[in-house]
Amino acid sequence: MRYYAQPLSELIGHLSKLPGVGPKTAQRLAFHILEMDKGEVKGLAKSISEVKDKLTYCSVCSNLTQQDPCHICNNPKRTKDILCVVEEVRDIIAMERTGEYKGLYHVLHGAISPIDGVGPDDINIKGILPRISDGVKEVILATDPNVEGEATAMYISKLLKPLGVKVTRIAHGLPVGGDLEYADEVTLSKALEGRREI
Amino acid sequence: MFLSQLYLKDYRNYKQEHLKFNPNLNLIIGSNAQGKTNILESIYLLGTGGSHRSNIDSELIKWDSKSFYVKGELIKREQSYKLELSLNNKEKLVKVNTNRLKRISDLVGYLNVVIFSPEDLNLVKGSPSLRRKFIDLEISQISSYYKHQLSKYKEVLKHRNNLLKDIREKKGSKEVLEILNTQLTDLGAKIIVKRIDSLNKLSILAKLIQRRITNGVENLELKYDSKLDIDNQSSYEDIKQELIRLLKKKEERDIYRGVTTVGPHRDDISLIVNDIDIRKYGSQGQQRTTALALKLSELEFMKAEIGEYPILLLDDVFSELDYNRRSHLLDVVQDKIQTFITSTDLKGLGKINSNYNLFKIKNGSVMKEER
Repeated sequence: MRYYAQPLSELIGHLSKLPGVGPKTAQRLAFHILEMDKGEVKGLAKSISEVKDKLTYCSVCSNLTQQDPCHICNNPKRTKDILCVVEEVRDIIAMERTGEYKGLYHVLHGAISPIDGVGPDDINIKGILPRISDGVKEVILATDPNVEGEATAMYISKLLKPLGVKVTRIAHGLPVGGDLEYADEVTLSKALEGRREI
Repeated sequence: MFLSQLYLKDYRNYKQEHLKFNPNLNLIIGSNAQGKTNILESIYLLGTGGSHRSNIDSELIKWDSKSFYVKGELIKREQSYKLELSLNNKEKLVKVNTNRLKRISDLVGYLNVVIFSPEDLNLVKGSPSLRRKFIDLEISQISSYYKHQLSKYKEVLKHRNNLLKDIREKKGSKEVLEILNTQLTDLGAKIIVKRIDSLNKLSILAKLIQRRITNGVENLELKYDSKLDIDNQSSYEDIKQELIRLLKKKEERDIYRGVTTVGPHRDDISLIVNDIDIRKYGSQGQQRTTALALKLSELEFMKAEIGEYPILLLDDVFSELDYNRRSHLLDVVQDKIQTFITSTDLKGLGKINSNYNLFKIKNGSVMKEER
């Protein structure tokens, strides 16, 4: 027997399209699913199809949500005049975990990257403008500290500056709680460059 | 700093080999295609994490094997370090004193190496990219932040070149180009400042060495050669403004051609001997002497920056040098720099005064003779 029965090889085919899953892993997962009891398999299949059906993007901030606007935009306790711009939905979760931030979000769904043909019109930058006229006073740019993220932050700040809104960029440098001697040279040099007066 | 031991397993044409080195001089003798350079390559590998000959790691594995392993013992400031590097199933692993390092590049800085191979004789007459690579590698070995900035610069450059082509086809945005220009000029100016600074130091050393090799006849001068209107005193701000000005000036042309034509990636080092640019007008001998002077100044430069001499790998270059230069080279390294020399025969090395270890290589196996 050189090939698996058709339903099984189809499942393996689908699984191997997932990121980080090669043909060997896909095969292992498929056999694992085959051994699971029926109820569990049904539950898995249901949640896979529901994730696509039930979730939409928030019409205000582009966060993933079940209700529109999302629970963050809808929350009356959140400060409405401060806006944090992030690249991905995942980044909201990271920011929320801090428990420090009480403002609103804006998800770009990407960053400017000419190599991949992604320009400012291909990500959700334009969506920030109507939010400024809704009374946002400060925009925090929390894009990644790599080349693409920096370029995106610079682009947005250039776009927003004429509107008279305060634009800030999150700091990067030394991790908290670590000893100075354990920081790598690049991080340390970067932190030295971004030093500030106290 | 010296390498006291080396252990190879399934590396190139070596099945298994354990070598003990002399802290001073090590001669590796054998006919062509027996594996002399492979030994130097494995030492270079322990220093930099990569081969100087190939970018494809799997080439380093013995043909009938699936993995290789290289281990070396380094003595540095009377402390011993165990360096290990292995490749298994495309996974490269580096360890220092049995602790695994997060990145391969973290290995750089333990064992500092300078290699001098016949290709280096092209350093003078070859293309500008060779000289850029020379200075970049030089600075990267002493500053990992420079290495980081350099790779960031290359990334922004790729973005910019892509965008230029998009703009040519009326798809790209000029506002984004402005942003990339800001990033490019900031990083570019930082790189140029570092290069000029290092070149100023290197120039003094190289001049001294060249005078010594030529008995005071030739005066070598190194200069940063750039389209920018700058000199060796220019500050970061000057260079940045100059980069901005030139980028603007060439913008239309750059869009038309789809490449960025100004910046550190287009610069060069001019090598001037007695007021003559010897990249173009030097004799073979002058070019050779200068290549040697550059390499030797690299040793002194590293000594000045990190406080210790690196180890020196001389791959088949003795045959390319005349008696004077050979004896000068041996004079310089004697008793202070651990040196590895490969050659096809002992006679070609001339008279050697210091003690050394001799390794005779035949078809991937080594016979050691003490002297």
